[in-house]
Amino acid sequence: MKLLIPLLAVLLLPACATAPLDAWDRGYLARPEMAWDPDSLSASQRSHVYFSKEASSGGVSAGGGGCGCN
Amino acid sequence: MKSKNARGHSAGAFKALSAAALAIPGIVSQVQAAAPVAEAELDYKASAYREADIEGSKLAAGSASRYEIDTHQLRFISPLGRASDLAVDLSYETMSGASPWFIMPGTGGGKPVQVMSGASIEEERKDIQTSIGHYFSQKVSAKVLLGFSTENDYQAVNMGVEASIEIPARELTVTAGIGFSDDEIEPTDPGMPDRIDSATRTSTTAFVAIAQVLNNRTAVQGGLTLVNNDGYLSDPYKKVWREDLSNTVADKRPNERQQVIASARLRHYVPSLRGALHVDYRFFDDDWDVSSHTVDLAWYQNIGDNWQLTPSLRYYGQSQAYFYGPFFYSARDDGYASSDYRLSPYGALSFRLRLERNWGEFSANFEWESYRAAANLAPDDVSVENPGLVEFDILSLGLNFHL
Repeated sequence: MKLLIPLLAVLLLPACATAPLDAWDRGYLARPEMAWDPDSLSASQRSHVYFSKEASSGGVSAGGGGCGCN
Repeated sequence: MKSKNARGHSAGAFKALSAAALAIPGIVSQVQAAAPVAEAELDYKASAYREADIEGSKLAAGSASRYEIDTHQLRFISPLGRASDLAVDLSYETMSGASPWFIMPGTGGGKPVQVMSGASIEEERKDIQTSIGHYFSQKVSAKVLLGFSTENDYQAVNMGVEASIEIPARELTVTAGIGFSDDEIEPTDPGMPDRIDSATRTSTTAFVAIAQVLNNRTAVQGGLTLVNNDGYLSDPYKKVWREDLSNTVADKRPNERQQVIASARLRHYVPSLRGALHVDYRFFDDDWDVSSHTVDLAWYQNIGDNWQLTPSLRYYGQSQAYFYGPFFYSARDDGYASSDYRLSPYGALSFRLRLERNWGEFSANFEWESYRAAANLAPDDVSVENPGLVEFDILSLGLNFHL
């Protein structure tokens, strides 16, 4: 039941569909700071640290292995 | 008829112009995965991670000095032909210091106190992660991932595959993937009482994510991830205090753990301020009764033509695992027990500041993070705070070269 709201939010995302943008209208979306993770090294390091220090981990990626971190 | 032809020519011209514009590197949206990387890049980052000493009032025995980790990361990405790209990530860490061992009841009804390990831990970790992406068309791409990491007492091999499909008519990208990690632990000092000789664990991950462009300045992504962990999931270096024994027993956790993660991310550009807002939220739930919320806010502020300043704030709050306790009066019926602060109820706030300077083909960045965990930041009231909760700072220097 706790998962119902986030699950519904994910499934309903396509309902936000918008009209296609023209190529020349993508300038802002193409900016580096608009990437999901603009600094991938920083993102992977932070993810590794939080994985080591918190009980929760995971996201939308199939990569990465475990570690014996204390 | 003439007007129909004119419209036809006009539509054709727009279509050709659109295709030409999309072929220009950088015009493809950062939040969609439509094309391989356009040029090779090399990134390097050096980081110093420092945990604060444990307070004297919380320390029963052992070293007050906690972990220090120095990390070097190298990332290389490059096109591979016209329709593929390659990414290689290398990481090398050296670790030293002490870590929480077990917790004893406070004397005279006082708060529990932490027994730390000696400050003799010296470890290193090497990690390589590689991925090859192939773009079958402007709409369909796939990526294969392979990685390996090794430590003094731990080895992990991981692999995965991801696929993305774009639906341009709806400005939608659907990505799904599966991953697998096979880990082996061989603790140092296996002769110590209760310490295992070796053990294995596996982790299987499956996710689906939907990215949606809302307008020319805003994109959102929602994701759902399932993780199944199987094998030895206890911590061989941690122990649990039992009052009835007046002694410690080994940390013992279930051999299975199923996790569900729901995430949402938003990117919004504000042209008048020349800045971008990032909002990330993650909900985590597992069958150990750990449930958490993570909110990460960042503002990327461009300053002039070459500088960028990014302040960020992250909140994390979790509930405790059902078999957690700072210490135990007697054995639980199921035999599980852990006093690991990472399974205790707490919350954490972290503040980050990142400054980047760009010189065209080369850029450098400096980043600082300050992280503090405390029971009073937990989502729910906590009666007894784990004395081993961590505070740390990270300083990083990053360099980026367009080759």
